[in-house]
Parts: sequence; structure tokens; C-alpha cells
Amino acid sequence: MTIWGALAGGFVGTLVLTTMLRGASELRLTRIDLPFLLGTALTSDRKRAKALGYIAHFGFGFLFASGYFAIFWAIGRSGWLLGAALGLLHGAFAGSALVNVLLPLVHPRMGDSMSAADSVARLEPPGFLMTNYGRRTPIVVLIAHVVYGAIVGGFIALSAT
Amino acid sequence: MASRAEHAGLDGSVETGDSYPGIRDLAVIGDGRTVALVSIDGTVVWLPVPYVDSPSVFASLLDARRGGRFELAPRAPFESRRRYVPETNVLETTFVTEDGIARVTDALTLPVGDGLVPFRELARRIEGISGTVGFGWSVDPRFGYGAENGSIGLRSGIPVATGRGRAVAVCSWDAGTPHLEAGSVTASFGTVAGSAALIALSIADQEPLVLPSRRDVERRLEGTVASWRSWAAEREAAGPWHDQILRSGLALKLLVQSRSGSVAAAPTTSLPEEIGGERNWDYRFSWLRDSAFVMGALLGLGCTDEAEAFFWWLMHASQITHPRMQVLYRMDGAADAPERPLPLEGYMRSRPVRVGNAAAEQMQLDIYGDVMQMAWLYADARHRIDREFGDRLASVADLVCDIWPQPDSGIWEVRGSARHFTQSKMMCWVALDRAARLASTGQIPSRNVDRWRSEASSIRSFVEARCWSDRKQSYTQAAESEDMDASVLLGAKFGYGDPAGTRFSRTIDALRRELGRGPFLYRYMSDDDLRGEEGTFLCCSFWLAEVLGLAGRREEAVELLNELIGFENDVGLYAEEIDPSTSSFLGNFPQALTHLALISAAMSLTRAEP
Repeated sequence: MTIWGALAGGFVGTLVLTTMLRGASELRLTRIDLPFLLGTALTSDRKRAKALGYIAHFGFGFLFASGYFAIFWAIGRSGWLLGAALGLLHGAFAGSALVNVLLPLVHPRMGDSMSAADSVARLEPPGFLMTNYGRRTPIVVLIAHVVYGAIVGGFIALSAT
Repeated sequence: MASRAEHAGLDGSVETGDSYPGIRDLAVIGDGRTVALVSIDGTVVWLPVPYVDSPSVFASLLDARRGGRFELAPRAPFESRRRYVPETNVLETTFVTEDGIARVTDALTLPVGDGLVPFRELARRIEGISGTVGFGWSVDPRFGYGAENGSIGLRSGIPVATGRGRAVAVCSWDAGTPHLEAGSVTASFGTVAGSAALIALSIADQEPLVLPSRRDVERRLEGTVASWRSWAAEREAAGPWHDQILRSGLALKLLVQSRSGSVAAAPTTSLPEEIGGERNWDYRFSWLRDSAFVMGALLGLGCTDEAEAFFWWLMHASQITHPRMQVLYRMDGAADAPERPLPLEGYMRSRPVRVGNAAAEQMQLDIYGDVMQMAWLYADARHRIDREFGDRLASVADLVCDIWPQPDSGIWEVRGSARHFTQSKMMCWVALDRAARLASTGQIPSRNVDRWRSEASSIRSFVEARCWSDRKQSYTQAAESEDMDASVLLGAKFGYGDPAGTRFSRTIDALRRELGRGPFLYRYMSDDDLRGEEGTFLCCSFWLAEVLGLAGRREEAVELLNELIGFENDVGLYAEEIDPSTSSFLGNFPQALTHLALISAAMSLTRAEP
């Protein structure tokens, strides 16, 4: 079990997660676009926002993979199934708190439940489980995070062999 | 000045029985998240929480017995007059009794200033002006559109009502001792010259209540006035109709959801188009039909931030249904709007009371013209449309080429069978024309511009051959029809045809002749598969004024606009419709499209001023 395995898993997992979300968007299942949400926190230029957002998204991918690694290291076990379970928890946390509650609080262009007539939000908030971006968004997000977790877990386990 | 002849209060409570206020007697306050409607007798009759499209805490407007309300009025017979604090959405109602005069200032406060801010806050300040006035007040919250009384108890000595994940704290200072009785909080007190009492409802949704201090509420009330004044001071509303444009702009701002940028068609549901009838709809959605008017008004008023937010919201909301667009989207951008009736009595027994709107599932071709016009206005105001949005707008134009020959439900969302509505076809032409213009300026890809021009030409041939009546000397409601429809005026407004040309000049005259009642226009008179009748449609009258001006008939246009302005209510607001014989308002209130049409007509006539 090595941190390099976790980082490799984080890279591949983020790649797959991003591709799955983009695919779901093209299939009109959801309007979620995590790189765009992250990038517009830094700039209002849409093109630049997407580029910066992808960089930030991969950064978070590495960060969460390191978190998975810390948990596996603490319990002394790893594997794709355990990773998938953590991914489920990770997805639920992202939908219910991370993107729904915490992101609007720090995002300068996103509205939240306290946005009032003295301010103008440029970006609609995600809502609980991000359902503002489409009713199927929670399912898509959960599945993508389970896959991310399984990949990270699998890579960490492989790095131990 | 409004009056109430008799008072039937008991121990400080104020009772109005099961009567309903006239829609004309309502005023709106709001905070960019939700709104409250206040009647001229001082009663808050409508308050959805936490957002404008959420279930209500007060809905006596839709069920006087079960809806819940917040009454505040003199205990003796009184007359009342009111106004907005100049250049704000803060309401002032002055009560005059035999013994004295008092003023009530109402606001949904903005989260301005330091300190812990309640989730939502309704503040009511009562000031004695002269003599003495005995007041009674009663807060009677009912959660979930009157479905649940909730429970009331004391928390730290403050009455708190809870239900459905929400809580309402009734905080009061110098406004008598609150009593808890039968689901209500009631009290009575008196004013003398120079006295000031304050009542604040602190409202929480899925979080603990904030119990504010009097100083904080007073500060927020003042800050709210200052914030609205600051917003109004930045608006561009010159010319002879400055006051009406600004008031309409302030009303529009209340319909803008601050968290997303979407604009509600109206903040109410099911205020009837016919008293006692079934034409009762939920307007708490953002209609694409309104988008071109919204963009025009926001840019005209100098609201560039709001314009950008609205453009972004619309492009994001419509992404999930791309390239097709829905008639309406929810305020949070979601596409579903399932319609269901509520077990409420209805305004003056007008049933059903609906939430949701089945029109979301209709096909309405004119929206594509509205959206492309909106994009054109946005780009014309030196905004850059990025590549992704440009590609999507080009795909929308391609779609219009494919679907314009199909029948649709039309701008009025007729619930019967689909037809070839004239205005829908005209707006498809507008969609393709604006797409070609956007392509010519490099804002959207130009790969299919030849097809757009060719199909636009086919649409024109269709309209001119099949949607014109030689007998009526007018464009008609639909192909091969002799019925009239005021919506064809939009063809002139948006450049489908020359407003001063023969066909539109004759259409204007025919519409006034066939659909006109004094200064007003019915939108149509034909059967629409719904029982009953409706009033004249106010936005159509403003469209007529604007098109008269565009046609070079300025004198008629100015006369009509001034006449229409005479029918605003005492605080400058309009509903959707008006009964031409009684001047009573009908339909949801205040209505965005009416105010948007007023802004558009007044700005157009101001620009063309000799």
C-alpha cells in the first residue's frame, strides 16, 4: 500500500469520474459540470473557468485519493470493494453537504439560500443532492463516485502487491 | 383612499370573516427570495417560505378560513392610504381613525449590516403620527398551503409556531402582550404621536431560529430602505414615464430570484382570470415566453448584472432539454413542474387552486423566437456569447427549421388540440432571423445560415398566404381561421413585419375593432376549451401602445399609454388582466409580463420622442 498507488488511482479515478459526468450531461441526464463549478469560483470567463476547473478537479481527485489512502492505512486494509463503499459515502457527502452547502458559501458567483435582492448570483446553486441540475443528478453522481472509489481502492491494493 | 366601515375585533384580534381583498387592493413586498402580499387593510394575505415557489405560511388569499394570515389594523373604523417609500419596495400604509393617525411600514428585510441575520424576516413598524390609535394584531400561521396548523409555544418568552420543518418566531416590542390562543398569536396596543412599536416575524427553514433584537430589526429595516434606494438610483428610466418605468422595474426586481437569476411570471398561484371560474394557474415559474421582454427591460434599465445572470440561468436551465426548450422552467432551473390541485377554497371560491403547471409539457413554438431575440439583445449590448452557448443557439435554430411546420399550443398555452398559430410562426421567423444576425456578427456558428434564411422565407410565405384574412383585413389567430388574436402584435414589435406597412396597420385597426374594450384588448375571443370567460389582457394593451408608436401613430400611442397608466392600482402595480366594466384586477399579481410590456412601450415611446 503506497501513496503513489493512491495518487495514480486518484488520477485515473478522476479521469473516469469526469468522463462519466460529461457523458451523462451529453445524454441529458444531468446538468452537473464539476470543473465548471470549480473554475467559475476563480474567474467569470467561461473558457478559462473550464480549463482552471479541470486542473482544480484533478487536484481534488488527488486530495480525496490521499484521504482514502489515509483511511486504508489506518484500518490496515484496502481493495476495490472497500474503495467503492468509501466512494458511496464520498458521493453522498458531495451531494448533501460539500457541493450543496459548502461550495455556495465560498463560491463568489453562486447564489445560496441567503442570496437576496441586494446581490446578483451568476450561477444557480446545486440544491440538495444537486437536484437543481436535474432529477437524475444524485444517481449519476453516486455511481460516478462509487466507480472513482473502486478505482482508487483497487490501485491502492495493487500498489501493495 | 380605502376604507373599512365596520370593525369586528375581539380582545385586540382583528377579524375579517371570510372576505377576500380585491386584487387591486394588494401591494407586494419582497427580498429577492420570496414575496408577501399585503392588503390595504393591513393584512398579510400571502407569504410562501423560503422561496417564492415554496409552500405558504400565509395563504388567506386562497382560503380565508384555512390559509393563515397576519392581521394588523386599528380596532376602530378606519380609512387607509398607502404608498411605497419612494424608490423602494418598502410599503407604508397610513391608517386614519376618528381619534388619530398611525403609519405602518412593511418590509421583507434584506440581510444587510452586521450581526446574525434571520433566514427570512418580515418587519412591521407601527408609528403614531397624531392623536391615539388602538391597534389589534393577530399572527395565524398555517404551514404547507394551509394544510397544517403547526404548534405554537413559547421559546425564551417568544411565541414560536412550528410545522413542516419551518418555524416562525413572533417578536414584538411595544406592541402589547402577545397571547397564544387557538393556533394564533394576538395582542393589542395603542399609538400616540411619536410612539413606535415593532413586530418582526423571524422565519427559519430547516435550521434553528434566529431571535433578533429590536435594534437589529430596526437597523435592517433602515438598511433595506437604503439598499432599495441605492438599486433604484442606478436605474436608467428617463422620460415622461419615469415613475411608471421605475416602479415596474422595482416590481420586476422582486420577481428575480437572487440565488439563480430566474424571473417568475408572478409571485402567486391561482388568482382567477374569472371570479368563481377555473382559469386559475400557478405562475411561480420562469416562462421563456417572457425572456425577450425580460432581457430588453433589464438592459434598458441598466441592470447588466441581472441580465447576465438571467442569460446564464436560461442557458443552463435549458441544457437538459436541449435543443428543445420547455415553455417554462422552475425557478431553480429544474424542468419538471407537475400540476396538482390543493384542497383550498380558492380566491372568492375560484377553484381549483393549482400548484405546478402542466403547460410545461406543451409544445410552444414562439419561445424559440423569444430566446433568440433575447440572445440577440444580449449580444447587441456588447456581451460575448461563448462558443458552447453559441453552438447550442445554432442547434436551436436548426431545430426551428425542422419543427416550425408543426402545430403547437401557442403563446396562450391553449389546452385543446394543437393548431398552426400565427404568432408562433412569426416568432419562428424571428428565431431564424436573429440566428442569422448572430451568425453574421460571429456570435454563433454560421454553417447553416443559408438554411435558416431559406426556412425563414418559407415561414413568411406560409404566414402571408394562410394566416391573413381578406375579410377581416387582419392577421388571424391561426392558419385558415377568421379568429383574431392580439399576440400577432408581437410580430410587428419583433420585426417580422413593418408596423407601418399595410397589413400590420390594418391588423392594428382590426384588433381594436374586434378585441378592443375602451383602452383594453382581449387576447382573443375564440373558444379555448375552458369554461367561462376572462378579462381583458393588460400586456396586449401595452403591446398595442408600443406597436402604434412603431407604426408612426405616436399621438394614439401616447394617449393609449397614458390611459392605461391611469388603471394602475394605488401603488403602481398591475395584475394580468382587468375587467373592462369594473376595472377590477383579475389573474395573478403583480404580473411580470404586464410590467415588462409597460416598460417596453414606455421606453420605446421615450426613445422615439420628437
